[in-house]
Amino acid sequence: MSFELFSNLVGAFFTLAIFSFLYKDNPLYQMSEQLLVGISLGYSFVLSYERVFIPFFWQPIVLKHQFILIIPAIIGAFYLFRFSRKLSWLSRYPIAFSMMGTGASVALAMHSSILVQMRQAMVPIENFNLFLIFLGTVTVLLYFFFSKAHTGVYGKFVSIGKWFMMVGFGASFGLTVMARISLLIGRIQFLVNDVFAKIF
Amino acid sequence: MNIFERIQQLDRRWIYIVVALAIALPLAFPFNSDNITSPPTENLYQFIDSFAGRPDRAILLSFYHDASTMPELFPMEVAILRHCFERNIKVFTLTWLPSAGPIIDYAINTVKEDYPNIKSGVDYCNFGYIPASLAMPTVLGMGDNIAASVKTDAEGRKLENLEIMKGITNYSEMNLVIEFSGSSAGGMWLFYARPKFGLNIAVGVTAVMAADEYPYLQTGQFIGMLAGLKGAAEYEKLTDVFGAYREPGTPLDLGVDEDGNKIPHGRSFSSDILRDESIQKYLNITPQHIAKFKPKEYQQFVDKHPEKKAIFDSLKEEKDGMIEIDVTKVTEAQKDELGYVAFNDLNRLTYNIPYKFKVARIGMNAQSVAHIMIIVFIVLGNIGYFIQKARQAKQQ
Repeated sequence: MSFELFSNLVGAFFTLAIFSFLYKDNPLYQMSEQLLVGISLGYSFVLSYERVFIPFFWQPIVLKHQFILIIPAIIGAFYLFRFSRKLSWLSRYPIAFSMMGTGASVALAMHSSILVQMRQAMVPIENFNLFLIFLGTVTVLLYFFFSKAHTGVYGKFVSIGKWFMMVGFGASFGLTVMARISLLIGRIQFLVNDVFAKIF
Repeated sequence: MNIFERIQQLDRRWIYIVVALAIALPLAFPFNSDNITSPPTENLYQFIDSFAGRPDRAILLSFYHDASTMPELFPMEVAILRHCFERNIKVFTLTWLPSAGPIIDYAINTVKEDYPNIKSGVDYCNFGYIPASLAMPTVLGMGDNIAASVKTDAEGRKLENLEIMKGITNYSEMNLVIEFSGSSAGGMWLFYARPKFGLNIAVGVTAVMAADEYPYLQTGQFIGMLAGLKGAAEYEKLTDVFGAYREPGTPLDLGVDEDGNKIPHGRSFSSDILRDESIQKYLNITPQHIAKFKPKEYQQFVDKHPEKKAIFDSLKEEKDGMIEIDVTKVTEAQKDELGYVAFNDLNRLTYNIPYKFKVARIGMNAQSVAHIMIIVFIVLGNIGYFIQKARQAKQQ
């Protein structure tokens, strides 16, 4: 038996073990689930050690003597105080530093997610699609304007926004079904082509 | 109790079995189906293709997902890598997730098997795993100098020494980033690199996430998007029709031009060709084993391998004015006599697409059957629900 077939058989066993949950909860399913969590964690730990700890901590400090990096390393190690009730407040310092990245992204995110989106929503209504975008934007925004009661002509107008949202939710649901089916297709393709076709 | 009411009370496990069969059967018995390409996929294909054969242009593929979303994203990655390898486009790859490191290797190796001339550090370069905490400085740093920002590739080689870096400095040259993700695809590049450096961005996302990404596509912030398995299937099709296309008379390896530049394979994108029915022969996802030639094409083909003419003549059959050779009838001895180049040249003309390059299209067959089945379930379920509701109303 080749190594590839052996590894595929292991994959097939765990795939079927996970699928067995569809019948009912059982020890095989639970074992597979816990193995997945454990292996993912172990794998990430080893890779982080190789790709983060060694090149960004060990090599610069121990081999290249860039001792200034000890300061951020100590601040980073404060994260571990999350496990201490008395000293957990120390873990807020590295979090505070990481917030710098969040702060830096606010202005740029505002550009991409708000300003450009607004600019593109304010184009001349030259065709029916652009009219639909205009109508949808206005009615959905008004739907969430709660200072005026949704009654009379105004109420009927904003209910168009509700219909736009329903269409959006329907599209999202359809795409979600498509994605979930795709995942099942991927697993069955694996079982059909990489396992059963190679055995029989 | 009528049939609709019985369906309402059906054990859910019967439905699981029906779903499994609806998906397994089309996969076990593939059939040829049409797959219309959409503008977001065509735009992305054309943008990447505009870099064909250019040593001063490159693309970056960001693998921001783990194994759980591979069924949808992996075929996209394979299709784009294949397009790049066919059309001589420089490719860089990276990931912010530790678990995606092996997926990059898997994708590259899957495609590379069919392209023995493609070399790491020359035609492609894998930056490997870069911790997510370093994503912002890396994305901004690459805008000034890629080799200074990333420094080494996944194999530990200094980027500045690699041949692929000749002519590639920053986003001016590596002008397109495609991020594959099952969650917030393209965000990092969209927020940091596009406003500051004008980087072109495209995304490959799972179908679940497509609805969230459309607004960015519509406002032109993404130049293209591959949405779920459908997007992957469309890209596979475009690569087969254009990137992997060969005229019957052209050699397998086109070599280099007078200046030493590699000549890209395939042909450029054209909407007219896509609409032409003759392309259907390049798109059959069922196994193909017969190479068909018009007499003139056969002559052209044999002229490329004059010393093998006798073997080809012994294999050929004439049907309806066409010359056909069934590659399954070629014996092992004949294969040895033909040699690797001549046999593969013949095999290529059967237009048999290797399984790994049509995974998404085969998957879309199952997807279509599953969609019909789900619609039937929804209709039956609704009828049953309203019948039940009407009965309850009567009883009250």
